[in-house]
Parts: sequence; C-alpha cells; structure tokens
Amino acid sequence: MSKITRRCLIAGLVVAASILQGCVNATVDEMTFLEPTEGIGDASVVIMGRRHAPDYETEFDFIECIGDHIRRGDNSISVLHELEFINMMYPWFEPRTAPLRTDDIDKLLAQQRVADRFEELKLEYMIWIDGSTVETNSSGSMTCGVGPGGAGCFGFGTWGNASDYEATIWDFTDEIEVGRISANTSGQSYMPAVVVPIPIIAPVQGTACDSLGDQLLKYLSAKM
Amino acid sequence: MVARLLDLITSGLDGYHRVLSALTVSLILTACGAREVVVQGNFPKPLMDPLPLTVGVIYTDEFAQHEIFDEAAGRAESDWLVKTGDAQVEFWNTLLSGMFEGVVQIKDSQSLAAHQNSVDAVIIPAVADLQYTIPLHTNIKIYEIWMKYRFKMVALEDVHSNEDGDLSINPDQYFADWTLTAYGKTPTAFLQSDEEAVNLAAVVALRDAGANFATSFTRVPDIATWMTEGVQPLSSEATENKGASDE
Repeated sequence: MSKITRRCLIAGLVVAASILQGCVNATVDEMTFLEPTEGIGDASVVIMGRRHAPDYETEFDFIECIGDHIRRGDNSISVLHELEFINMMYPWFEPRTAPLRTDDIDKLLAQQRVADRFEELKLEYMIWIDGSTVETNSSGSMTCGVGPGGAGCFGFGTWGNASDYEATIWDFTDEIEVGRISANTSGQSYMPAVVVPIPIIAPVQGTACDSLGDQLLKYLSAKM
Repeated sequence: MVARLLDLITSGLDGYHRVLSALTVSLILTACGAREVVVQGNFPKPLMDPLPLTVGVIYTDEFAQHEIFDEAAGRAESDWLVKTGDAQVEFWNTLLSGMFEGVVQIKDSQSLAAHQNSVDAVIIPAVADLQYTIPLHTNIKIYEIWMKYRFKMVALEDVHSNEDGDLSINPDQYFADWTLTAYGKTPTAFLQSDEEAVNLAAVVALRDAGANFATSFTRVPDIATWMTEGVQPLSSEATENKGASDE
C-alpha cells in the first residue's frame, strides 16, 4: 500500500469516525398541567439536579445541557445557572437541606432573606432533575502498539449506556407541583480498530438532554 | 540523595539524554511519593437571618493546621496527605460571620482582653475524625470524604490566659458540647486527577458541615437552653461521657 493510499485511508477513517453515531432508543413520558400559555414573561427558572442519593448524583453537565437547550430554543426565558444559584442560596440547596417536596417551600420562605432573594430573582419555576447515566455492559478487547514504522491498534470493543431522568416542575408562586417529565434512553456504542480506532458513539445522555429539554421548552415557552 | 542518584545515573551521557533520564527518574520517584492535597475552595456566605449574638471563636493549632496522613497499604498505592486546616479556618470564618451578628477570633491573651465585654460566648471547633475513600479503595467510581466535628461552647469569662499567653479552659465550664458529621462525594470525571477529586469532595464535605451546623445550631439542646435560660455549665462527667460516646 502506497503512503498516499494509506494516508487517504486513515483520513477516511477519521472522517467516518466523526460522522458515524450509534443508535439510541428514547422513551419520553409527560404529565403537565397549569401550562403558562403566555410564557413566563420576565420571571426566571432554575434547573437543579438531585444529589442526595448515596449511589448516584445527577450530573452538573447534564443540567447545564438542559439549560442551554432551553435558552437556545427561546432566548426570552431566563434560566439561572445552577451552581451560581446554589451558592447564592447557601446553605438551603445543599444535598442535606434541599427541599424534597413543595410543602418545604413554606419553611424556606420563613427565612426573610431567602424570601427576599427569591423575589429579587423573580423565580417562578424550579425544575428538579433526578437520575443519571450509567454504563450497562461492556465487552471486547483492543491492542495498541508503537513501532519504528508507526503506531496502530487492532481489536473491537463495545459498551452500552442507559440514561434515566425525571424532571419535576414546581410552580413557586402557587407552591405546587405542575408537572413531571421522564426520559429513558439507551444505546450501544462500538469501537472497531484496524490500525485506527473508529469510535461509533451512541449519544445516550445527549438524547436524554434533548428529549427533556424539548418537553420543558414546550411547557415554558409561549413560542412553541 | 535523589540528586546524587540522578548524578550517578546521568553521568557520562550527553545533555539531551541526561535531561530525558532525569525526567524519567523524577517521574518514577513522583509515582512512588506521597500524594498531597491542600484543600482549597470558594465558600459562600450563608443566606440567613443572623442570630442576635456576638460569638468568639478559638481555632486551636490542631484545628488550624489539621491534616490527615494515610500510609500506603501496598506497593500499588501511594501515601496520602490531605491538609484541610487553612480551608477549615476560611470556611468557618465565612459561615459564622453570616450566622451571627458579630464574630471575633480569640487568638491569644490580648484578643481575649480586648473582647472581654463584647462576646456572648466562645465556640471551639475540632475535627474529631476524617476518613476518605478513592476508587482504588472501593472500586466505586466515587471519591468520598467523611468528617466528624466536635464543637464546644464556653462563656468568655471561663477562658483563661496562661502566663505564656496561651488560652486554657477548665473542662467543667463548657456549657455545650456536641458533635456533627459531614459528608462529601464527587464522581470520577474525565481529565480529573485523584487530587482534584479529593479536594472537591473535601469542599463538598465542608459545605455539608456548614449546612448541618447552620440548620441545627439552635436545636442543639444545650444551645437552646443557653439561648433561653443563660449559661448552665455541663458537668465534667457529662463532657467525658460525650467524648466517650463519640469514639
């Protein structure tokens, strides 16, 4: 094989790797009511992850992904940054102290400074995301080597991922729960390697983010 | 000794190879050495209505320079040194200044004399225990830190200054003595080193300690009694029992 042919082959494999994606199955369930038909106006929304379980915690980057998805879909919606909000409200939204039920909102508002801060932020909706993405299976093997003539890998690997998230929407003004949206996604990723490894990644968490983000956007935005 | 070893290994080689060999040896030595974490973080001031009290706080040297050294159990592991002292002082200063109307640090006889009539009580925090786990220990992709604090409170007039300027307190004169636990965890993340993850877990644990302290302070029975009825010193027997039950 000539050098040019080999370079073309490697370049082709790299391009293919960037285009190819694994398949993802997604299931979305929605139950919402009291939809703000005129949108949320100049009020704000905060999206936060649940992190009180001992064996998992909702990923910060997943929450950020949903926030970005909503902002991209309707830039009139003010979505507060999760970490900034948690710091601003310390110590009331730490894993130990975060309200678990809408009944706990009253206890929070009993603290005058907390009530004032909520008013200042014009917080209308609080959305809790509970869940995580896990690796379900993995198999295969791959060997890589480096020699005087170059480097390369040979083998095949595959792994599965599954995401299971539920969004709970709280209306802060009425202190009630106004909706639940869940998204379950799963997919299998592959990595064949003949000289160059070609990752064929199933965007499991990304699909869950898009699915939840779309439904939340539909609920919050007057444009949709 | 390391320098001599390097000289011995690299003598007779040209400059390029000498540097390369030195780097390799340093890498090997680094891999075998202790892993050190000096806990650092940004701690927010608590958002709460401050209690109408002015408290003094004594950070003992043990607390202000708190660290835990964990010796490696086997060849595959490293020694770990986790220094939390500076972060503890920074964190508790921030937390207490948001919880109370006034906070003063009592460091020595001079500051003790300076605040004689302006302090309602003195808090003395201590780290009673600290444990950590990394994925190597548990095979779970989570870094964890667990801490146990012991807090004592005493009236300012019961804090005495020794001839050498150090502060001392008679154990019979504490009017509150309680413990609280804190937990912090952080999952493994791409491009995150063990040290960064342990630091993050420690910061989460400190924040948890603060949340626990801030939300439970007025519910501690001895504190509740003090706030309603004034100082009622604990008996030394009760203090000893408290210490024993913590072990």
